[in-house]
Amino acid sequence: MSSSSLGTDTLPSNRTQEGAMKVKQSGGQGVAAGSTEEQLLRKTHISPEDVLLLQKITSDYLCTPEENIYKIDFTRFKIRDMESGTVLFEITKPPASEREHGDKKDVDPNAGRFVRYQFTPAFLRLRQVGATVEFTVGDKPINNFRMIERHYFRDQLLKSFDFEFGFCIPSSKNTCEHIYEFPQLSEDLIREMIIHPYETQSDSFYFVDNKLVMHNKADYSYSGGP
Amino acid sequence: MVLLTILKKLKQKEREVRLLMLGLDNAGKTTILKKFNGEDINTISPTLGFNIKTLEHRGFKLNMWDVGGQKSLRSYWRNYFESTDGLIWVVDSADRARLQDCAQELAGLLLEERLAGATLLVFANKQDLPGALSKEDICEALELANIKTHHWCIQGCSAVTGENLLLGIDWLLDDISSRIFTAD
Repeated sequence: MSSSSLGTDTLPSNRTQEGAMKVKQSGGQGVAAGSTEEQLLRKTHISPEDVLLLQKITSDYLCTPEENIYKIDFTRFKIRDMESGTVLFEITKPPASEREHGDKKDVDPNAGRFVRYQFTPAFLRLRQVGATVEFTVGDKPINNFRMIERHYFRDQLLKSFDFEFGFCIPSSKNTCEHIYEFPQLSEDLIREMIIHPYETQSDSFYFVDNKLVMHNKADYSYSGGP
Repeated sequence: MVLLTILKKLKQKEREVRLLMLGLDNAGKTTILKKFNGEDINTISPTLGFNIKTLEHRGFKLNMWDVGGQKSLRSYWRNYFESTDGLIWVVDSADRARLQDCAQELAGLLLEERLAGATLLVFANKQDLPGALSKEDICEALELANIKTHHWCIQGCSAVTGENLLLGIDWLLDDISSRIFTAD
């Protein structure tokens, strides 16, 4: 059973009518348990506990790019299949110093905060994967760096990651690979996820000293092509 | 005592183990980490921060931390001591010139209060190189026999071939689990 929060119009603006109807039909319980995006946006600081209560994907970013005062920059994402050793996906981006040329005014301020993944249906049948991120930090030490990542299909939470990196050395480059058993999904769910590309989505929240400083989003297609 | 019991129980629930891998630069820490986890080891550059792997192994949830060993980074090692169950000290067995330096750094770590509860595994790495000292030689140079404060073990290994990596880690886990996860 999916439990979506009710009564708040927090659907992403680009959602289809189908998505809206889906929310309507889910039952009348579970509202008190979670916190909603609107409640969080009224707060000055958003904490890890706050986002752990969220019951669905957020419609907007919960902080601005300017709040990333420690200049945390994700420079690589990689996913490998542990059984075959094959790298399934890898993107790298050049360090910030080599970007930010040109003076385009209409550049999307959220570019760099959003990733779209396109996989084949076989991806959902993997058993064990390793997901690596690489990031650099600015010239200030970070005492307590924590990541919470929540994956949903529509309003169903598929997986929630919570990891404390702790201290980050100033001007360092760091990597972290989580090797994990792929969540066992029902055949029905797999079918739904394949025929509804980009309705599988994730929020990645990053905290320094328990304060949200960065929010990235991703969506996923498993239908095998763009 | 009550607190210790609670801590034991908390850890027991998830059987979560934190391993911290340190050593001089170019000892092979990142290569060990990658080889142990079945990753390509052909393109490894000096670590200018940390590399973490989280994985399940023998029913344990392992968090392995590899922190860069360059001289300028060593003063930051202390930031990673907290909650460490196992310290893996990696030695380049062919680097005779820096063996004294290596022994001193390890001796310093063993005095650290926040590492007092950690089991020590020493990897005498690069045994595949022709000029490598044996694990007995390394054991002597590091004066491991004098250690009274920590459970310890030394293992000759090669990160490149993978030889003895599993053996060493499994010894470490056995020792940690007998200390932490056994009945109260």
